[in-house]
Amino acid sequence: MLDAIDKTVLKEVADLEGLPKGAYNIRKNGQLLGREVSANINIEANEKGDGIVVDIKPGTVDESVHIPVILSQAGLHDVVYNTFIIGENADVTIVAGCGIHCGSDESEGHSGIHEFRIKSGARVKYVEKHVAIGEGTGKRTLNPTTKVFMEENASAEMELTQLGGVDEAKRYNEAKIGAGSVLLITERVMTEGEQKADSKNEIELSGTGSKANIVSRSVLKGDSRQDFYVNLTARAKCYGHIECDAIIMDNGNNQTIPALRALHPDAELTHEASIGKIANDQLMKLMSLGLAYDEAVNKIIQGFLK
Amino acid sequence: MLELKNLRFEAPAGDAGKDAPPLRMIINDISFTFEAGGFYAITGPNGSGKTTIAKLIMGINELTAGKIIFDGQDISQMTINERSRAGIVYGFQNPARFKGTTFRDLLSIAAGTDDENKLVKIIARVGICSLDFLDKPVDSKLSGGEIKKIELATVIARNPRVAIYDEPDTGIDLWTIGPMVELLKKEQKEHNTTTIVVSHNKAFLEVADTLLLLKDGRIAYSGNLEGAMPMLEDLSLCTFSDVCEGEGNVRCYR
Repeated sequence: MLDAIDKTVLKEVADLEGLPKGAYNIRKNGQLLGREVSANINIEANEKGDGIVVDIKPGTVDESVHIPVILSQAGLHDVVYNTFIIGENADVTIVAGCGIHCGSDESEGHSGIHEFRIKSGARVKYVEKHVAIGEGTGKRTLNPTTKVFMEENASAEMELTQLGGVDEAKRYNEAKIGAGSVLLITERVMTEGEQKADSKNEIELSGTGSKANIVSRSVLKGDSRQDFYVNLTARAKCYGHIECDAIIMDNGNNQTIPALRALHPDAELTHEASIGKIANDQLMKLMSLGLAYDEAVNKIIQGFLK
Repeated sequence: MLELKNLRFEAPAGDAGKDAPPLRMIINDISFTFEAGGFYAITGPNGSGKTTIAKLIMGINELTAGKIIFDGQDISQMTINERSRAGIVYGFQNPARFKGTTFRDLLSIAAGTDDENKLVKIIARVGICSLDFLDKPVDSKLSGGEIKKIELATVIARNPRVAIYDEPDTGIDLWTIGPMVELLKKEQKEHNTTTIVVSHNKAFLEVADTLLLLKDGRIAYSGNLEGAMPMLEDLSLCTFSDVCEGEGNVRCYR
């Protein structure tokens, strides 16, 4: 049964009103709250007992899996290792996410490792949202890790979002992209107050014709701090692009370090990066359409993080 | 209806050298009244103050001296958005490029609604803007022409009482300029929009009721195109008339 806090958290992290349709696994305070499998998607505990294995049959099309995590127990630091096996030519959406509801002055945290084994020809869309809410003052920590292994001609689109509430986040993304495969990562992070977010990415284009596009959008409010690192390494004839933009609203502090390494003569790698305040011409435009200064700022940030 | 009274605008002179005055006069005592529903074209050489005048009316640049009266009300101290809400809208010469914000977002803000049918109606009314644009991000990937069409659509979507278009034809293909001129004329006629176009393009100058020719921050001429032609031809030939010692002379700066 879902209580009021569970429902709020599920709405925030997975846009769910109640239990999802199709396969799902809901984890609450380190325990299983509910699980449903489908004919094509199996979910079971892994051998070590520290997470689940989501096994998607080859050829499964237009199905989704929801695996949200709810954390509302003071003092709990939940650690989990989940593996996703996406069979040949499957085309699925995986919605993950962790919502912390902090009601006390004790810290709460979640460290989730998600490993993706994407078989040849498979397509996966992975949506991960991290939020922290509640009246408590305890520190909320989220340290997600994603490891992506793509075989040939596969495609993965990963949307990783953390919009406020999380005091400390250390993200690590790792990917190895096989021949003809395409990986798109979009990371959106907003921090405020004294929050810190750190994102490290090691992406390797290992097969001929592989492609990667890494997009990072950061908004820093208050005195918060964000650091973003990407190492994009090419070991074959491939194409890779990094685009990272940070908007500093108040007294935030940002480091953005995109690195390109071509270990093959036919690699094509590019990057663009920017850090700064909201551009004045954007504000002028929206104000000339009737928005007050603050409304214009909000609209620009909303669009930037959309 | 829209009255400019002794407008002055000064800006830092930049790299003019240490003996130069710290401020440069961009707009030098301009007075003019735009009548309701009129079609005006502002033209003149580069650096004559055309865009500055437009930005002063919108409130993007702050007046050094003078007053702007709109419908009897002094709007000189109003913010950009207050002027916009009063009915003045400016289409930028170099429209802002965003990250993530789409044409739909801008159009919804301009029209004050995100109702799909209403947005489609606006696009149909503008005509030159494809429906496919709606979910395009207004970012650096758009061509110069595309972003100018979007800019124009956002101005029209506000149903302005005074619409100022700053070089709306920049980047627009030759075949779209005619329809764009017709569109602005239609908006002027059907909605009684006071239309001010900053342009060098003869297509706009020809349809204007009144033409303002700016030179060195002053109105050098106002009236019909015919009367302006001698001066325009002079300008088109040479902009060094002040120091000219005659065509063919060694000190010809052209």
